[in-house]
Amino acid sequence: MDRLIEILEDIQPDVDYENCTNLIDGHFLSSLDIISLIAELEDEYDITVPAVEIVPANFNSVEAMRKMIERLQEEF
Amino acid sequence: MDLSFLLAGAGASMTSFFAPTFLFLFLPASLILYAAVPKKAKKYVLLGESYLFFWFISGALLLYLVLSTAAIYGFGIWLEKIQERMKTALKALPKEERKAAKPAYIHEQRCVVTLAVILHIGLLLVIKYSGFLIENVNGILSFLNSPILLGTPRYLMPIGISFFSLQAVSYVVDVYHGLIKADRNFFRLALFMSFFPQIVEGPIVRYSQTAEALWNVQPIRYQNLTMGLQRVVYGMMKKVVVADRLNPLVQAVFDQTHQYDGGIIALGAIAYTVQLYMDFSGAMDAVVGVAQIFGITMPENFRRPFFSKTISEFWMRWHISLGSWFKDYIFYPITASKRMKNLTSSARKKIGNHFGPLIAGSMALFCVWFCNGLWHGAAWSFIFFGMYHFVLILLGNMIGPAVKKVNGKLHLRAESRGYRYMQIVRTAILVVIGELFFRAVSVQSGFNLCGRMFTTFSFTGLSFDTMSKLGIDVQDLIIVGITLVFVFIVSLLNEKGISVREKIAAWPIVWRWVLLYALILYIVIFGAYGFGYIPVDPMYAQF
Repeated sequence: MDRLIEILEDIQPDVDYENCTNLIDGHFLSSLDIISLIAELEDEYDITVPAVEIVPANFNSVEAMRKMIERLQEEF
Repeated sequence: MDLSFLLAGAGASMTSFFAPTFLFLFLPASLILYAAVPKKAKKYVLLGESYLFFWFISGALLLYLVLSTAAIYGFGIWLEKIQERMKTALKALPKEERKAAKPAYIHEQRCVVTLAVILHIGLLLVIKYSGFLIENVNGILSFLNSPILLGTPRYLMPIGISFFSLQAVSYVVDVYHGLIKADRNFFRLALFMSFFPQIVEGPIVRYSQTAEALWNVQPIRYQNLTMGLQRVVYGMMKKVVVADRLNPLVQAVFDQTHQYDGGIIALGAIAYTVQLYMDFSGAMDAVVGVAQIFGITMPENFRRPFFSKTISEFWMRWHISLGSWFKDYIFYPITASKRMKNLTSSARKKIGNHFGPLIAGSMALFCVWFCNGLWHGAAWSFIFFGMYHFVLILLGNMIGPAVKKVNGKLHLRAESRGYRYMQIVRTAILVVIGELFFRAVSVQSGFNLCGRMFTTFSFTGLSFDTMSKLGIDVQDLIIVGITLVFVFIVSLLNEKGISVREKIAAWPIVWRWVLLYALILYIVIFGAYGFGYIPVDPMYAQF
């Protein structure tokens, strides 16, 4: 399984991460889940997620999260 | 007419958008001048009018605003120069060396941001809170029988400093994060900082929300004028008919030493909550309305807060711009800091998914609510108010999963109408208790009132006779009741996604004007002003 989805399942199971596009707006992930998620993403992908990136648009779907991770990895 | 308000700093009455000096003199004069000058000059006229307004209400303290604007103008450009240097230097390096070289530039930028924050928040702390701090230090010194007591400094505080200081900080931090470019046009930045409808009570806007729109001025359009006026009149109705009419009752319950029974205290606490909501949201209606006349869309500061099902939701609907400022510039920076992330990671492994992130989240939440309480004023009652909401939100976060489990076992559906009504009523009661402490003259008085409200509660004291002794009669209650029903219906329709304003805009022109005049007439007849009423200053201007 995709590592990102594994991390998400570990934090908050019982969500259809493959298809859900309103994880934040639909209240599937709480602010506490996001705090956990950011800590895990930083460890896993060797990135730093600054406070300014913590916006619903970056966390509403797995696709949006992937894009954010790639962008942060490319940043110098 | 007394024109002394035209003297520098003597126009304090204009802090209320519904004061005749603002409504019938300053606003029309501003609009006429704005409409009369050519398009190129409009933005400068708007800036001039904004500074003139601030000069009327704060006199020479206008200097604070000008210096604050000059400071963030410099800080913004300084940050951008470091960012440009960083980009050029990093591009010249091989990719693998860039990561190691970047922190030095980030550190340099953080120093600039820290300097800007110290300057603005430090100044706010000195002006607004040094007296409170010294009072408490002196209290401790007296307790220790110290012969030395510190002198209490008195500073002149410009109106709106708590609002424009936060705007200034958000501008600098947003430039640092690369969300906006530093503004090289001082006048544009100055207009963003000083736009007169919002300088007294907010909303606390971000540069990206209004700066461009303010600079790209629009001519006054008929639709904007009428819709803006409707919004101002609606706000005026909330303030003059409801909030000001409830004032004698609120003063009697909270400011007098008489020991009322629980029923009257509960009525006073509800009346104060309604008064504060009608006063502040009414002022925000006026801000949005006046800005709309100038063609500017202001962000909404209220979204029908009394339909909230939880305290967290309430604060996403009440004074939205303040809550959003605390979230973006305090909560997330704390939770996203390296130490907190490490704490979250290790705590999750030890105590699980729910309580793990709660530790870092609670620390950030504590900071937010301590600052929120303190932002409202230098007094323990405000700090208590902040801590009260911190505890409620923390409890909500802690017991959330347990409540879900219990509901499941009891077969209670959280989506059912009855359950939602129960949540709305429970949230409203918790809000009213919080506002009781907020309004009480001290924390001790708050506890006294709250204790009596629960221990001596009865409906028997709520007779019309007692009411009239409290400064409110049957007529007042009927007028307040009818107006609140009207506000409730409008709110309910908006809550259901039906835009009342758009519906009205689709009416024939005659009916639209009939409605506007009917509202004005209603305010003229039923407004609480003139003999027997003391004019009430806008409640949030004092913060």
